[in-house]
Amino acid sequence: MDIDISIKIGGEAGQGIQTVGDLLANVCREAGLYITGINDFESRIRGGHSYFQIRICNTSVSAPETTAHMVVALNEQTYELHHQDIHEGGLVIMDAREAPAENVIAVPIRELAVEAGGRVMANTVAVGAVLGLLGAPFHILEGLLTRRFSRKSQQIVDNNIAAAKLGFEAVKDTSFKWSFDWNRGEPKGTLINGSKAVALGALAADCRFAAFYPMSPATSVMQDLNSFSGKIPMIVEQVEDEIAAVNAIIGASYAGIRSMTSTSGGGFSLMVEGLGLAGITETPIVVVDAQRPGPATGLPTRTAQPDLLFAIRASQDEFPRFVLAPGSPGEAYTITTRAFELADKYQVPVIILVDQYLCDSLFIEENPFKIPTEINRYTVTDEDMADPRQYVRYALTEDGVSPRALPCNGEALVMASGNEHTEDGHISEDPANRVAMMDKRAAKIPRMIDELDPPETYHGESELLVVGWGSTRGAIREAVEILRNGGMDIGCLHFTDIWPFPTDVVTAALEKAERFVMVEQNSSAQFGQLIREQTGLSYSASILKYDGRPFYTDEVVEKIKQI
Amino acid sequence: MVKIEDYHNDYENKWCPGCGNFGLLDAMKDALVNLDIAPRDILLISGIGQAAKTPHFMNCNFFHTLHGRALPIATGAKLANHDLKILVNSGDGDCYGEGGNHFINAIRRNLDITLLVHHNKVYGLTKGQAAPTSDMGFVTPQQPDGVRTDPLNPVKLALSLGASFVARGFSNNRKHLSRLIQDAIQYRGFSLVDILQPCVTYNKINSHAWFKKRAYDLYETDYQPDKLDEALFLAEEWEDKIPIGILYRKDSIPFHERIGQLKEGTLISRPYDAATIQEILSAV
Repeated sequence: MDIDISIKIGGEAGQGIQTVGDLLANVCREAGLYITGINDFESRIRGGHSYFQIRICNTSVSAPETTAHMVVALNEQTYELHHQDIHEGGLVIMDAREAPAENVIAVPIRELAVEAGGRVMANTVAVGAVLGLLGAPFHILEGLLTRRFSRKSQQIVDNNIAAAKLGFEAVKDTSFKWSFDWNRGEPKGTLINGSKAVALGALAADCRFAAFYPMSPATSVMQDLNSFSGKIPMIVEQVEDEIAAVNAIIGASYAGIRSMTSTSGGGFSLMVEGLGLAGITETPIVVVDAQRPGPATGLPTRTAQPDLLFAIRASQDEFPRFVLAPGSPGEAYTITTRAFELADKYQVPVIILVDQYLCDSLFIEENPFKIPTEINRYTVTDEDMADPRQYVRYALTEDGVSPRALPCNGEALVMASGNEHTEDGHISEDPANRVAMMDKRAAKIPRMIDELDPPETYHGESELLVVGWGSTRGAIREAVEILRNGGMDIGCLHFTDIWPFPTDVVTAALEKAERFVMVEQNSSAQFGQLIREQTGLSYSASILKYDGRPFYTDEVVEKIKQI
Repeated sequence: MVKIEDYHNDYENKWCPGCGNFGLLDAMKDALVNLDIAPRDILLISGIGQAAKTPHFMNCNFFHTLHGRALPIATGAKLANHDLKILVNSGDGDCYGEGGNHFINAIRRNLDITLLVHHNKVYGLTKGQAAPTSDMGFVTPQQPDGVRTDPLNPVKLALSLGASFVARGFSNNRKHLSRLIQDAIQYRGFSLVDILQPCVTYNKINSHAWFKKRAYDLYETDYQPDKLDEALFLAEEWEDKIPIGILYRKDSIPFHERIGQLKEGTLISRPYDAATIQEILSAV
């Protein structure tokens, strides 16, 4: 790629850093560029230090880099913390009258904002200055500001354009080493974060009910879903706790509509008993676990992949479930739509593992969000039965899936119980029945495995394979491309569909490689452990990051070189 | 016409002989028959405990769930299909202990469901430990020195939370209880019927005779259940006499009517709106 520029915009929480990042990302998208934008923020509403880091490229990109070409310091602390992260020849834009160092351009951001009509527009001034340095044409930002603020008033539109122009002009005599030609054609895709992609997937999959209790970084999924609730028959309800959330969606699903919840590890811990209820009563539900570092409160606004082994085992005893982990907004969308389909088809809970990085980061998603061709609920009514009065909810079948009727929907009575039960849903402690019911539920697993998508493979024939899952997809893939260009015989496998474990597929993909390396955001290579347990194949090394920050491409490259 | 036999099933009853739950079960069936509600049109939801086993002894739709969680399950089911007639059967431990937070919030929502709490002041399924409603000093194998906590007064709690229909029944008075349950089912909003129901095995104090001596029927008095202060006063009556009947009832807006989304019909009845969804997807 001939354009690859990273910019950090830092300041206190409440200074509107995300607004700056969002505007920049949108301008880049409109100009036909690709971006990855990460939000690094503390668990506080005001003060502290936060930054948005945007990486701008002319080819597809889906991971951040460690160092920046430009830093926008909305406060002095940002300068102190980040001026060492700058590439040689890079610049700092600082809200000041005088520059404290040679590579700093002093732009009186707040003063210029006041000049344009109000301090609140400091962000707009900053965006103008950044785009000025990058050599961007002003009209894209002008158009964006017009569309964004026209609903408010013409005055606000004019003031923002004036503010942007002042920032833009303030740097016109400064040359930036990496400024580039902005003529890049049409937008390459949708600017979107993982949360919104999950919400869109749920919407498209006919999810009608979501119950949740707020918890970072999972709340944004519910917020995005809620933004559609006035337009389609769907309710998003904040309930008293996560226990209520999971049980409410079980109740709604039992009554007949597709339902989901979204939480993070701590809330998921509270939901575990409900997960088991969905398991034994064979009630389809979709649970999103937006992972963050734990245990307990851990790091609320940071990222991690520490819940994999927990998600596949959560609950006492055993029952089939799906665990799926998308690696991009596009995958988050399709996996969420699939999750509802699979939950209904096999009458099992489906857990979607995302994380703070995927949920809160912005990407350009090139694949369009396609609506499912059909919504099949896999339910039966009286008309499907010879004698509805003989209907039993848990009929023993060869593939373990029993015809599922809905309560109060005809003569067929739907009797369900979280106790071990007979075919008709009544409690039974009979040992033979217990075995039959456990075996019936487990009988679904072979067909469930057949539903799984194989790992995305890039040069799978290589001597060294890098193996990852979920949100590390972008960083791993790019790192492997860089190393291949450097002459290394290396490839990668990225898994989204993790459980039930597709043993044959994983064995076939890994046994040819001389060695494979795990790249994961937890401290014990959980997926590597799982591969070893399920296939007998052992990873030769692991690159693990559990400091709460996402993997950066350059970091993965360096770590692979060291092994 | 619905007949009582429609609700009978041959599933073996697992309660102790003489259990107050038998009267309660009969009253519930009687109420449903009197309201001409068929088994296909009622959904019983229960948590865990002796009370929560009730659905197994009736031929109808049911969901027997987790300890304390019947109300959140009912919340979801009711939002999915607010035409459902839902009867929740719960015990004093299930509802007021394990599910206490859900009890508070079900009242705040004013879900249009009926909650029947089997109130026997002791845990039956787990063999005789104290319940949230057990009296101070009540001796059990796990509370050998007697219960040290003050008893929870569920009807007072419900009233103080703004519950719109609060009643108390007695399992031994089946006719009266049937009438109460009918009134509760017909009430549009959250209706609590706290049902005094002797545990013959683990509570030797609050026996049939103990309750019978104290219970008096509010239907037979000129009491009008429309004043909160009077209801709160009645909720305190316990040692010498216990009122059974509707303590309080007010007009209220049930939860599903507070949700604009549901004005066009139940969530389950609405078609998949592919055009609108496509429009939203295209606009991203």
